[in-house]
Amino acid sequence: MALSKRSTFSHGVHIHDMKYLSKDKAIEVMPAPERVFISLAQHIGKPAQAVVAVGDIVSRGQLIGKADGFVSANVFASVSGVVEKIAPMRNPQGQMQTFIVIKNDNLDTTVTLDDIDKTDGKQIASRVGEAGLVGLGGAGFPTAVKINPPNPVDIVLINGAECEPYLTCDHRIMIENAEEFVKGARFLSIALGGAKIVVGIEENKPDAIEILSKYDDITVVPLKKKYPQGSEKQLIYACTKRKVGCGKLPATTGVCVFNVQTVKQTYDAVELNKPLYERVMTVTGKGINEPKNILVRNGTSYEEIVAFCGGLKDDARKIVSGGPMMGRVLTDLSGYTKKTDSGLLVLAKGEANELEPTACISCGRCAQACPMHLMPMYIDLFTNVGDYELANHYGAMNCFECGTCAYVCPAKRDLVGSVQLCKQKLREMK
Amino acid sequence: MEKLLISNSPHIRSNSTTKRIMIDVCIALLPAFLMGIVYFGPMCILIVGLAVLSAVLAEFCYKLIMKKPMRVILKEFDYTSVVTGLLLGLNLHSTVAWYLPILGSAFAIIVVKMIFGGTGKNFVNPALAGRIFLFISFSAIMANGWATTSIRNIGGVSLTTGATALGSVLKGNFDKIPSNLDLFLGTGIAGCIGETCKAALLLGGIYLLVRRVIDWKPVIYILVTGLWTVVIKGFDFNYFLPSILSGGLFLGAIFMATDYVTCPNTKIGTYIYYVLLGVITAWLRVRTGGEVVSFVIFVMNLCVPLIDRFVVPKPFGYQKPEKKKSEKGGN
Repeated sequence: MALSKRSTFSHGVHIHDMKYLSKDKAIEVMPAPERVFISLAQHIGKPAQAVVAVGDIVSRGQLIGKADGFVSANVFASVSGVVEKIAPMRNPQGQMQTFIVIKNDNLDTTVTLDDIDKTDGKQIASRVGEAGLVGLGGAGFPTAVKINPPNPVDIVLINGAECEPYLTCDHRIMIENAEEFVKGARFLSIALGGAKIVVGIEENKPDAIEILSKYDDITVVPLKKKYPQGSEKQLIYACTKRKVGCGKLPATTGVCVFNVQTVKQTYDAVELNKPLYERVMTVTGKGINEPKNILVRNGTSYEEIVAFCGGLKDDARKIVSGGPMMGRVLTDLSGYTKKTDSGLLVLAKGEANELEPTACISCGRCAQACPMHLMPMYIDLFTNVGDYELANHYGAMNCFECGTCAYVCPAKRDLVGSVQLCKQKLREMK
Repeated sequence: MEKLLISNSPHIRSNSTTKRIMIDVCIALLPAFLMGIVYFGPMCILIVGLAVLSAVLAEFCYKLIMKKPMRVILKEFDYTSVVTGLLLGLNLHSTVAWYLPILGSAFAIIVVKMIFGGTGKNFVNPALAGRIFLFISFSAIMANGWATTSIRNIGGVSLTTGATALGSVLKGNFDKIPSNLDLFLGTGIAGCIGETCKAALLLGGIYLLVRRVIDWKPVIYILVTGLWTVVIKGFDFNYFLPSILSGGLFLGAIFMATDYVTCPNTKIGTYIYYVLLGVITAWLRVRTGGEVVSFVIFVMNLCVPLIDRFVVPKPFGYQKPEKKKSEKGGN
């Protein structure tokens, strides 16, 4: 069932969503690559520990990295073949991480996890951890931790807002895999003690709202198209009118938020006993020849993905892993996909911002747009002069770096960069 | 393929830029300027032109002295000095000596803006400071020789020695002041080049509103000024329209008080700012019997950093800590 009234949060900004590039493209399965490079640190928390050795023959879905500690996640082989190398390499962000390189033998021998009792919440919760699920929206927080909240939860909120412009993978899953998605949501609800299922969907996805409204046990909340509608705190407020306190976990308000794809993977893990080794990502932007939604194996190189999508256009100017608002820029195509990659975005000339920052004119648009009601112009000012305490007076630590302020800034200042610097300095000072 | 861009998120930006905003302000000032030319004759073009030209030149000269290469200066040029020059020119009356706009612009740009760090760092509105500088330094020229708009003079009222319609309003000489329509259109009114025609200023304000350069809040300033005058005058509502339509209130409220740099950055702060502006303007107008809008905005501009320091909005979800106890028990 769907609520008739549109919900939203205060502030935020309207951005042209650019989803027309890929929203009608059905999910395509990308052929497995010759070699996969699987990082052991694809989540927030401690990297997993390799449990295979060079020369081992692994199957698809076999555990190759074991979760190390409470906040960590299992990593699985995405192709069958021989482990060629286990070595530290730089990821696209410049951090050293251990990668496991598997050469594909093209046999695709597959192993699955054992069957579990699908009505037992505890078994579902442990399966979610076993299958290596993390928040697939981009943060990569281990779902196993989220599904064991410190206090009772009465609402399972599924984030179908997909407020990032360009990205359409969640949209496609809600349309194409609605049945699996709903079953996955029910599993999560069982794991959380029978919590109510609420799905928040931005109104620019009317087809998804219509399809999911047919299920009686699911409440669909149509949301106003506004960025950052899919941010956890803003989404909780829009869908349930509960406010998450500063520095608190959403679970304190009795709500657990999951990404659409996490829910779908929960279904795969519980029903099909399939661990997380592939995901749907959107390859889009005006700088790529054929924008697509593709099901891609974990550890595929960006270069092969781009080639699968028709290659770059001549006027490609910027390559981003993730969405255009919060994604990370790539210096080249030498990286490899990980669990959290929701998109590969190639921005063409004229799409990507090329203007240099100029002086702040104190127009106050950033403060008017900030969904957390902070004052980014002063955070920027005081961070640049080194007074981090005063920058925090204007809310630096409450910022979740959604980029709304920098988007609206007429002076094109790097407000997000200032906040990141300020947060880091404040953490160092503690 | 060109070299790839590397920069922090967000990777897409809105298409609004400082330059565009400043050009919008210039466009919004054009109707008032045109009406000034219509009312006061072609001398206005010279005065405003000199003010704009010297403002731009002052910025360039300052930057050249600061050893910035010409390439950088041209790249940095964002039309803020054009706005300053235009505003200052429109704030002078049509019979001032030719060197006044030059001096005023130079003072506004160099002393008020550039020395404090250039665009975005001026502590008060530069055009306003330039006007006040001229007003204090050349009070004889600035206060006398006001020309009345040439379209329709009002018989029997001398408007040549600073006796603006506002003065008559505040003294309560309702028989001597022009009709509200005249005040609104600026016909037969003495005043600065840009401030007489309220209709043109309003048109500019609506343009800025449509372009989302400013919001509706300056209306608070205009309304509070009118209402507070009414209150001071013992709830005599005859004062309401003449007091808001005479003097430089429209120009001040729409183009001066809304200067981004020198107005508060928060919603509540902005309300405080405009209400205080209105109250002080009305009070001082009645006390002094003259036009004080520019001085009041000047003083309030200086208070803006204080407002912004103490009126900081609470972050989203802030009220939770107080509910902590009840939350643990229930919920």
